[in-house]
Amino acid sequence: MLHTLIQKELKSITVSNKFLVTFMICSLLLIMSVLIGINEYKQAMTQYETVHQMADERIQQVSSWHSVSYREHRKPSPLMIFTSGLSYDIGRWSDINRESTVKLKNSIYSDDPIFAVFRIIDFTFIVQIIFSLLAILFTFNAVNGEKESGTLRLIFSNAVPRTKYILAKCIGTWLGLLIPILIPILLSVLIVMLFQIEFSSQEWIRLVLLIFISVLYTSIFIVFGVFMSTMSRSSNVSFLLSLVFWICFVLILPRGGVMASGNIVSVPRIAEVEGMKVSFAKNKWENYYKDMDKRLSGSEHNDDSEEDGISDDMMWANLKAEDSLRKEVTREIEGYEESLLEDWKNKQKAQQNLGFMLARFSPAATYQLAAMSLSNTDISLKSSYEQVMKDYREEFNSYIDKKSENAGPGAGSIMITMDSDKGMDLKMGRDEAIDVSDRPQFVHPKTQLSKILPDVIVNISILLFMIFGLLTGAYFSFMRFDLR
Amino acid sequence: MNENNKQVILEAVNLTKKYDDGVLALDNLNFAIYENEIFAMLGGNGAGKTTTINIFLNLLEPTSGDAKVCGVSSHIEPLVVKKNLAYVSENVMLYPNFTALQNLDFFSQLGGQDSLTKDHYQEVLIRVGLAEQVHNNKLKGFSKGMRQKCGIAIAILKDTKAILFDEPTSGLDPKAGYEFIQLLNDLKGEGKAVLMSTHDIFRAKEAADTIAIMNDGKFLMKEKASTLFDKDLESLYMQYMAGHAPQPASEGV
Amino acid sequence: MLKTLVEKEIREIIGSPKFTYTFIVCLVLILLSFYSGAVSYKDNVTHWEAAKAENLQSFEGIKEWYRVQENRIFLPPQPLATLVSGVSNDIGRTSNIEPSGEVTADDSRYNEEPAYAYFRFIDLEFIFLVVLALFAIMLGYDAICGEKEKGTLKLCLSNAIPRTKFLMGKFIGAFSVLSISLIISIGLGCLLLPLLGVHLSSEEWIRLGLIVVAGLLYFGLFLAMSVMVSSFTQRTATSFLILLIIWISSTLILPRVAVMVSGRAVDVPTVDELGYQKAMYATEQWKSFLNSLDNYTPIENEDMEEVMANFNKFMDSISIAREERMNIYRSRLNEQRYNKELERSQIAFALARISPSSSLSLASSTLAGTSPELKDQFYQQAKNYQTSLKEFLNEKTGMNMGGGFIMTISESDAPEKDPIDPTEIPQFKFEPESLSKSVQKALPDFGLLILFNCIFIAGAFVSFNRYDAR
Ligand SMILES: Nc1ncnc2c1ncn2[C@@H]1O[C@H](COP(=O)(O)OP(=O)(O)OP(=O)(O)O)[C@@H](O)[C@H]1O
Ligand SMILES: [Mg+2]
Repeated sequence: MLHTLIQKELKSITVSNKFLVTFMICSLLLIMSVLIGINEYKQAMTQYETVHQMADERIQQVSSWHSVSYREHRKPSPLMIFTSGLSYDIGRWSDINRESTVKLKNSIYSDDPIFAVFRIIDFTFIVQIIFSLLAILFTFNAVNGEKESGTLRLIFSNAVPRTKYILAKCIGTWLGLLIPILIPILLSVLIVMLFQIEFSSQEWIRLVLLIFISVLYTSIFIVFGVFMSTMSRSSNVSFLLSLVFWICFVLILPRGGVMASGNIVSVPRIAEVEGMKVSFAKNKWENYYKDMDKRLSGSEHNDDSEEDGISDDMMWANLKAEDSLRKEVTREIEGYEESLLEDWKNKQKAQQNLGFMLARFSPAATYQLAAMSLSNTDISLKSSYEQVMKDYREEFNSYIDKKSENAGPGAGSIMITMDSDKGMDLKMGRDEAIDVSDRPQFVHPKTQLSKILPDVIVNISILLFMIFGLLTGAYFSFMRFDLR
Repeated sequence: MNENNKQVILEAVNLTKKYDDGVLALDNLNFAIYENEIFAMLGGNGAGKTTTINIFLNLLEPTSGDAKVCGVSSHIEPLVVKKNLAYVSENVMLYPNFTALQNLDFFSQLGGQDSLTKDHYQEVLIRVGLAEQVHNNKLKGFSKGMRQKCGIAIAILKDTKAILFDEPTSGLDPKAGYEFIQLLNDLKGEGKAVLMSTHDIFRAKEAADTIAIMNDGKFLMKEKASTLFDKDLESLYMQYMAGHAPQPASEGV
Repeated sequence: MLKTLVEKEIREIIGSPKFTYTFIVCLVLILLSFYSGAVSYKDNVTHWEAAKAENLQSFEGIKEWYRVQENRIFLPPQPLATLVSGVSNDIGRTSNIEPSGEVTADDSRYNEEPAYAYFRFIDLEFIFLVVLALFAIMLGYDAICGEKEKGTLKLCLSNAIPRTKFLMGKFIGAFSVLSISLIISIGLGCLLLPLLGVHLSSEEWIRLGLIVVAGLLYFGLFLAMSVMVSSFTQRTATSFLILLIIWISSTLILPRVAVMVSGRAVDVPTVDELGYQKAMYATEQWKSFLNSLDNYTPIENEDMEEVMANFNKFMDSISIAREERMNIYRSRLNEQRYNKELERSQIAFALARISPSSSLSLASSTLAGTSPELKDQFYQQAKNYQTSLKEFLNEKTGMNMGGGFIMTISESDAPEKDPIDPTEIPQFKFEPESLSKSVQKALPDFGLLILFNCIFIAGAFVSFNRYDAR
């Protein structure tokens, strides 16, 4: 019996125009998005490689250990073909040097705001917006449509239990929609393989999980549509209801959640935090210069009383002492900045967590969060890069320190002395080409799948819970459905 | 054409309709309906009755020939023609969110009767057999027969020379069906020409002045009801439809 | 006759649950967008002022003007930018201005607070673009074929009314009801702004008014299109499916694809490439700077002051020369990129305008001052500010600031100086594009929107005249 009902459902779906149109739209869009994604990824990859090479070339030009600065770039992840996520919003590089702390700068959107006008279209976006809409379109009149066309009475003039009917309805439409959804998805994966985009085995697992949650997400809307079709006797009303709910859940709620949390938890802007840091730093430097003035005038006094012609080396040593004092100040400022940023980030995290929690009431948000973390293009992309870059900077700086130590005093510096007797004297430090080939190598951060798995499992269970809830809703509402 | 000095209201002249898919729905049809005349078309499903009516309403263009109302071809001057036509479809559908009175108001204004009042509407609705307590109900709660009655009321209110009925009695209860025949006779008395397609042989015989049996876009038979008076119309119909006519079909007038 | 038709149309729309639902949802969303716009604007202003105060405070206690080596400037929040956010959250809003060197802007909102980048903001533009268009479709997709499905079309057309009149009645009825209810919703939203303490200047009111007009045109266009589609389809389901495809492609797909495809057609050098070219050039210049420094022989003079002055003059001359060369080089590169960018955006937007959604986006963001041009405007004004800051500091210190070297003689026995007054530092004032210029830029988009309206209305008449009403 169930079998017959499901078969009828499948048949009626597969012969409909809707089915063909849906299949065409899905295939077209997914293939297009994946092609665009591949193009973007390749472009990003070549760009990454060029700038990386340029950075290498540039560091070779540097002649003084004091001015060695490196620029490390984010490496694009191939999964951004499917979920571009925040990869266009987050800065692409950070300077690695003594002066400035790690900060990701220059996002693609800020460099080329033209792309930000309409943003990028990707697989996740299409599933999130269009698949859900199509699923609703398929199912909004699943039950009341049959009532309107009169077939429902005919079916229930036979000995068919309602439970079986509603179950068959859900399974049948689900199976029927699975075809126009899964085939285009698999096609798009095939295209990615054809273009020989390299995926690690872990990335393959991530991709499979992504497809799994995409199907789950679409299923929610299939069951939701069936539910709505049992809520009202008229398909017009159920259509309207589903569309209104769709707008609220897919378009409004995710944004609203994040925006509401922004109002609940107040977090200062980065400009303020930086301002505080700058204030602190300026203060420190001011004090430092004051002290330096004092120290210098002190040594001048010594000069006068002692014999003329202190050795150059002595002078260089003096400079070196100054240098280490300067480093001290820098360290102090950095420490302050670190604690400021730490505090700021914690606040921001609290805000984020609240926002995401609120947003998760929407399946669309849950899906997007899961997809982004699976594709490694979520917020952790920024924090993990910043963390790794920070560690790298430490390593890099100590390497530079060691090197400049070895190079001896005065390498690459200029000393200008003034003497009332000898007049002015300009001295250049020894200036040799420096060799940075043995510098520490940067290792790009790799989030382990096991690390994000708990998060993904939470999201998957939320999605499953929603499906289950809607199924029970559909069941009970159909039990009370007026068959006449 | 003239018969007892009566004016021809509805007229089909060599009316032919071939659908795009090649179906010949009307095959060189000729008839004339005079004032004070009720013309009933009988015929199986797909015989071409609705097609004929649609051509009069200019919802279809004839492939060749003319459908004339008061001498005006429907596909040449549709607006003039429609001024003289009222129409009741086989399954009357009205605006579901409007009440019966609102629907009547809208359609009679559309039909050019803008001086009518609520009393007129109620009078007509009662005349077609719709109880007064439902006049202010929305149409979506109406049964098929109730809608049919509203449709007939709209046609009466338009007060035209010709009325086209497409299976008007389908869905009417026996009492309403009987009353409808009375109504037809009243309308006839007012000098209207009525073209009616129907499957109801007995009502047709009861009400109509002329009866035609149609099949495949042709009249197999067209007779004055008076000449059929003593014949058994049902067995005649069955014989015609079975393909062996008891006598050659009379063509033309 | 027409009056009857219009009346019926209005009564039918207002009486339908469809209208009630959509109107309520619309009203709520529009009010929500205005509310959240007002709240986040005020929030932005608070933070902006805090950042400015923090910046000013950082100069406290400084006693020498030459220690003022940089000043941070901030792109001020605009009230309209929270209603039509455009790219305002994507571009850098803070710039560290040094008397010389390259001007860059950092700290885009989405980079610093990526949580917002996940789903972006609910703004008026989004409501217009996505939700209102969908509602227009919902209200219009069954205009003709719905009447046919209901069976009333045949009855209507059995009367002596020309089809044009019938359709006109539909259009007038639908347009008047819907636009009035929309205007009421938006009007209520606008009322929220002053109530929540956001005061717009009269010019900004005009801009907002024009944005609303663009939104209404866009809504009308989708309504006309829906009626058109409903007048060449026989079934409401088909009509809706077609309209949905059009909606998806015109609001979600076409603009993006157009920008991406044509954006890639013009090869614009990346900011990184430029950065490295500049850096390499700077290294080169630094080397030659050091060389010329090497060749310097201090004058023989007893007077320290004079030696110093001579040295400073020499330094000034070579560093000014270096700076100039770098400036020329930089601006040449920047200009090349700018021109390429301009070419790219022209092609991209011309292509994107196939879809009316792009026209609406571009018109409203231009009027709100949040189009991609905002970045250039900020950059240009920041550069002007750099010049004035440099002039100011040069005057204050009597030195060439930013030349790279500052030589001073500190006299230990000099009296303690008073701290400088940081409020003397020139303030950065951002001048948004003038209204007439914005309007001029938005005009073609308005034209396009009107054109689309006309095309769809005309299309509806043509196809309805041939509609099979049986
Ligand atoms: N749109 C169409 N396209 C092609 N053929 C059509 C179309 N509409 C009707 N027909 C054909 O024209 C013929 C006459 O149809 P019509 O609707 O006039 O029959 P009818 O006499 O009204 O039947 P019924 O008693 O069932 O109402 C039929 O054979 C039908 O198949
Ligand atoms: Mg028929």
